[in-house]
Amino acid sequence: MTGLLEFRENIKRFYSKYEVFILPVVKFLLAFIVLNTLNSKLGYMNRLDNIAITLIVSLACSFLPVTGLVFLAALFSLAHMYALSMEVAIVGICLYLVMFLLFFRFSPKESLVVVLTPLLFALRIPYVMPLAMGLLGTPASAVSVGFGVTAYYLMQAVMTNAPTISTMEDAEAIARLRLIIDGFIGNKAMIVMVVAFAITVEAVYIIRRMSMDHSWSIAIVAGALLDMMIVMVGDLLYDTNMPVAGVILGSILAAAVAKVIEFFRFCVDYSRTEKVQFEDDEYYYYVKAVPKMSVSTPSKTVKTINTQSRSVVTERTVYDRPGERARTQRPAGRSVTVGSNIPSEEDDFEELF
Amino acid sequence: MLKEERVILMTHMASYEQNEGKKNVSIGNYFRNDYIAVQVMKSVICATIAFAMVFALFLFYDFESFMQDIYKMDLLAFAKNVLTWYLGTVVVYGVISYGIFSYRYSKARKSLKNYYQNLKKLNAMYHNEQ
Repeated sequence: MTGLLEFRENIKRFYSKYEVFILPVVKFLLAFIVLNTLNSKLGYMNRLDNIAITLIVSLACSFLPVTGLVFLAALFSLAHMYALSMEVAIVGICLYLVMFLLFFRFSPKESLVVVLTPLLFALRIPYVMPLAMGLLGTPASAVSVGFGVTAYYLMQAVMTNAPTISTMEDAEAIARLRLIIDGFIGNKAMIVMVVAFAITVEAVYIIRRMSMDHSWSIAIVAGALLDMMIVMVGDLLYDTNMPVAGVILGSILAAAVAKVIEFFRFCVDYSRTEKVQFEDDEYYYYVKAVPKMSVSTPSKTVKTINTQSRSVVTERTVYDRPGERARTQRPAGRSVTVGSNIPSEEDDFEELF
Repeated sequence: MLKEERVILMTHMASYEQNEGKKNVSIGNYFRNDYIAVQVMKSVICATIAFAMVFALFLFYDFESFMQDIYKMDLLAFAKNVLTWYLGTVVVYGVISYGIFSYRYSKARKSLKNYYQNLKKLNAMYHNEQ
């Protein structure tokens, strides 16, 4: 465990040191994967299905805020839909605008969920999303996950109906519109998924906020099981033809990914180097404020020798948290783990003997 | 003259202004009612646009039967029905927006309280130096 904690601290240190380079690279990779997936799944506009364009747009995304990626991904998908048929694009525009006008104006940061959910569906691990948002988000994240699922099923409806739509004549505009709306709204699997994901987000959020030991782990397991159960019950009730093995495997994988998220959850909450500028009547100030690193590294070994009752030598590795004193002093004969960097509710206070 | 304590305080305040305080400072420039009224107004406009789009889609979806029935149907009753749906949507969305923005305003004011205290402290520091 200590090895893992060290690994986490090292990643944290590495990230805070090279954040200026890492963040654009991550954004670039994410944009590249998202746009490529869109091209491979939809890909009706040949001009967009070009590696050079994908690279240029991904490069632009690496310097734009996250909402820029969401906007460009939405534009890409709409362009593909337009290439298939204008009616399909109209349905797409309506759905995206309703999402952004009604929900994402409250929390623009969560709009990334609309991009990530279809991506995870394409990677066959959509069950990660409700667990991750339950752990990291708020109760309102259920809505953003729901919109993500809806966006995926719209694309699914477009892909399913694309051969029929492309053979229809120009005069059959309303029939095309009907076909796509029916294929989208009438999809029972979408409703089952939206309900399952929304309930899972809320359940995971409620459980992980409970004041009990291992609430995060319990939330992950309970969330994965609940999600699996709702999807299967929905499958039985509405005959959605969900592959049972896929649901089970996907849920197990999702729980594993959620556990990794739990492990790294404090990495995103680090204090970064700040460069600020201000002035008063006399000076201009250009200040670079570098946070004192709170990296725990093995620093000393405590040896406790009990010579009174029996001769015992114990060795424990002690982790220092700068700015915090070693909190526990124990009489001779006992060995304690002092100041581990595990979060406070899980602080490992271990008495031997 | 430069004083370390003052520079540290100013750095903290500048950092707050640049990051999480940016939004709060802009919210803090409004009176409570003005801020909420503006935001609810924006919400009403957004809800209106969203409703119009969904309604247009609904009309296009059923365009043929709608055009066939347009002379037979009671247009007044239809308009009343549409208006009821519209008002319902806007009122519900407006009330939710009111709740959210009231909460955000009070949260921003709380966050700014500490910032204003620091401003006073900084002012006092300058006075003492003079």
